[in-house]
Amino acid sequence: MKHILVIDDAATVRLYHRNILEGAGYQVDEAINGIEALEKVLVQPYDLFIVDVNMPKLDGYGFLREFRSQKDVLQSPAIMVSTESGTNDRTLGYVAGANLYLTKPVKPNELLSYVRLLIGDLA
Amino acid sequence: MNNLLEQFLSEGRDFLQGIAEKLMQLENNPNSTPLMTELFRFVHTLKGNSGLFDFPEMTRVLHASEDLMDAVRNGRVNYSQELADQLLEAMDFVGILMDEIEVTEKIGTKHAIPAAELAKALRALLGNPESETAVIEDISPKNNAVISWADLPSLKLPESIAEKLYRYAIDGDAVFWLEYKPESDSFFKGEDPFFLMRQVRDTLWRKVVFNNVAQTLEEMDAYSCQLAFQLLTIAPEEELDDLLRYVPDETKRIEIPALAFVKPQGNEDDHPIDVEFINNALILLDVGDFDALTHAINTMLELSASELWSSSALRWVLRLIESEPDNKIAQQALLESLQTLIAPDWSEIAQTIPSTNTTTNSSTSVNSQVPDDSLLLGFHEVMNTQREILSLSPHLSGAWSEGRLKAVAATLLGCYRAVNHDYESETDAALQLALAENSPAPLLALLESSLADISKLSETPKLEQAELVAESAVQDANFGRRAEDVTAVAGRRSEDATAVTPNKTLKVDQEKVDRLMNLIGEMVVAKNALPYLANRAETVFGVRELAREIKSQYAVINRVAEEMQDTIMQVRMMPVSFIFQRFPRMVRDISRKLGKEVELVLEGESTEADKNIVEALSDPLIHIVRNSLDHGLESPEIRRTAGKNAMGKLLIRASQESDRVLIEIIDDGKGIDPDVIKNKAYEKGLIDEATLERISDQDAVNLVFAAGFSTADVISDLSGRGVGMDVVRSAVEKVNGTVGIESVVGKGTRLYLSLPLSMAVTNVIIIESDGQIFGVPMDLVVETVRVKRSQIRTIKQKQTTVLRGRIVPLLSLNDLLARNVEPLTNEDDEFATLIVRVHGEHVGILVDNFRETVDIILKPMTGILGGMSGYSGAALLGDGSVLIVLNPRELI
Repeated sequence: MKHILVIDDAATVRLYHRNILEGAGYQVDEAINGIEALEKVLVQPYDLFIVDVNMPKLDGYGFLREFRSQKDVLQSPAIMVSTESGTNDRTLGYVAGANLYLTKPVKPNELLSYVRLLIGDLA
Repeated sequence: MNNLLEQFLSEGRDFLQGIAEKLMQLENNPNSTPLMTELFRFVHTLKGNSGLFDFPEMTRVLHASEDLMDAVRNGRVNYSQELADQLLEAMDFVGILMDEIEVTEKIGTKHAIPAAELAKALRALLGNPESETAVIEDISPKNNAVISWADLPSLKLPESIAEKLYRYAIDGDAVFWLEYKPESDSFFKGEDPFFLMRQVRDTLWRKVVFNNVAQTLEEMDAYSCQLAFQLLTIAPEEELDDLLRYVPDETKRIEIPALAFVKPQGNEDDHPIDVEFINNALILLDVGDFDALTHAINTMLELSASELWSSSALRWVLRLIESEPDNKIAQQALLESLQTLIAPDWSEIAQTIPSTNTTTNSSTSVNSQVPDDSLLLGFHEVMNTQREILSLSPHLSGAWSEGRLKAVAATLLGCYRAVNHDYESETDAALQLALAENSPAPLLALLESSLADISKLSETPKLEQAELVAESAVQDANFGRRAEDVTAVAGRRSEDATAVTPNKTLKVDQEKVDRLMNLIGEMVVAKNALPYLANRAETVFGVRELAREIKSQYAVINRVAEEMQDTIMQVRMMPVSFIFQRFPRMVRDISRKLGKEVELVLEGESTEADKNIVEALSDPLIHIVRNSLDHGLESPEIRRTAGKNAMGKLLIRASQESDRVLIEIIDDGKGIDPDVIKNKAYEKGLIDEATLERISDQDAVNLVFAAGFSTADVISDLSGRGVGMDVVRSAVEKVNGTVGIESVVGKGTRLYLSLPLSMAVTNVIIIESDGQIFGVPMDLVVETVRVKRSQIRTIKQKQTTVLRGRIVPLLSLNDLLARNVEPLTNEDDEFATLIVRVHGEHVGILVDNFRETVDIILKPMTGILGGMSGYSGAALLGDGSVLIVLNPRELI
């Protein structure tokens, strides 16, 4: 069972992702900001991260920077999901440690095919 | 309503509340950056959430608000009162939309225009946003390929379909136009044209046309096939060849280039778009500032109706920017077409347009290998992204942390696995090397070589492909089982999930709680039957042992039932802050409208009461607060001349006193002048001349609660509304509350509401009258007395008695209920008299006899009986009989 951590401060967006991912048979955990996400990733490995950018306390960039500099944790792929579609935001995400940058709202099928790819599930 | 929409509405309302609060706070502290950031985040998140649904009106307004807040946050626009008002108005609008969505799950078309106007007003505050710093992309020249535009059919497709087809074509899927004109005698040759066309997979659009329009109805031969089938498909070429191998002469197939789908459409009755906008857009396009261009187009789109031709064209420009950022010629042609409203002629332009880029070509070739097309498209995108990440210039990227290299390696590995290639050892080796060298180069090398391998593989002989297809078929066969596994695990997973993220609060439908409440009420009643049963066991059946056992069991059930009742009551408790929270906004709005300065102080917001009570309080409180602002507090000038602080003070305080909630609304305004009230009441005929002379000042002030009393000379739109404080009184009394007022002229007014904590369980006294039993709520009962016949006097033709020095009017319950029967007396010739408090006065009700008091769950009368105000409801008693509960306030 692949385990995915959805990090977003909006409960609606978390539920949206949870519905899609659980529907496809993934196990989903949620975190409401970067700090909470860090607390989770340090005690448990995840196979994929779906990270919002704009969050209180610690934003998506901050979370990825912190997480990617941790040793001895499973460094799984991260999909950054943001409302900003600019090239700069994209590059910032990649520099912080995202592996893919998608623009909100992500369509369910689109999200799922990327998740399958990054997680390595056979079609 | 689905759970996502529910979540959206519930979270959305929280955000609206939050936005309103933050705006209030900003008012006192307009330069606070944390507040501003927080406010922006609220609007931003709300907009993001709304984007998950198809609510364009809401998203449009929120988007404009977000842009505005972004500008404020970055200091481009100054925070102002006007801006706050505009934002509040926008949020009110969003709130209205949410209410509508809650009921209808959609937004009515009537909101489109107000939404556009609001967005426009918000953007007007924004002024001209400076364009962001230009990012010039590196454009590598692409190979030119020759496309035959000559025999392209003229396509008339809905924009959504055209968009889909365009994306397929851009992503490297060959989109075929297929036309099939069956032979006219095909029906007799065992062919089934319709079935054949249905066999074509991945059809995105299909149409059947009548082939011979010139024919008249008489000439028509129903047995000859006169049809033509047209469709657009992304099915692989070989498959189409195979399917249509028997009808090669009747079919025509053309591969359609992506640009052929780029065809704006819509209402052409449209004004050409502002030249300035087009020029500006062309400049942005020229310098390659796609961010600013996208932003500008989005803004323009939000300001124009979506069904216009120009909107359609703008949307296509956006799509072109997204899918073919380097195809500037096409983008430019489309932008220029906005001036003429005539679609660009792609066949002319096509000669100069570079063809689709090289990577998509390779994806087409890999397509045949793996069943899931979208996966393959994604594969190349993800690979390209990783290439981009690995090639980030060092000054941007900074030092490569282990984590980032590992994550890229994990991503590559996932992708290889997803498309069924085993690169595990290679990836691992490359990662180790990369880590050792602290450089992305080895991973980049792996990426390039693997991509080459994967494209080469696709060119391997058919034999290998057949194997792959077989493999995928096996996977399909397994799929059913996999799906079952998935659902089995899903159940377990949701348990896990709750264990990992414990929810501190649970939002429950009020209906469910009410139902639980009703069920518990029924259980309380059912439980009350046990003592009767025990009694019967003993007296009727003579089994004393059993009777005792029933009684001891009853004690246990009783305890549990009481505990349940307590608990459910706790669940229904909610803090009064629920209604208090709207006051800051309300007081602010009203006082500004009236030109008054008011400081609002809220105290005891955490005081809790039953949900029904709190909700019942809402309207009366609003009315009282409006009254205080309108009539109580004076304008700053008058206050200053009266020697008061120009800023008026309004205090709303909640507190708990034993089993009641006390709410006070205190203002330091001009107070109520009893003489004014007295004269007014006299004028309106509420009191007679004699009363006018001797009424005390306090009683005079209380007259404001009398029905039909309103002191405002002009009924304003704030208080007034043609009703007075009597509405407040009756609303409060409905939930068994009381209301009172104290006032000192020139100093201020104190209004207080006293309400029960809960109205779930009512304590009533059972009385007998004319052979029937009735209940009377105990909170109205002052005392029960026996009045000797000799003590009853007739004053003004009404029966009264003197009780502890006070004259108490007496009424017979039989008279009240229109039963023409004398009340019974006991052997000492005494009447059983129930003294109740009604509208602050004591009244005696003569009944036949008193019985015990009981706790009941009072159910209001429904239907026709509901209109009988003399009864407050009915309840079931333990023995199963129904007790009618009287409402003495209305009865007397």
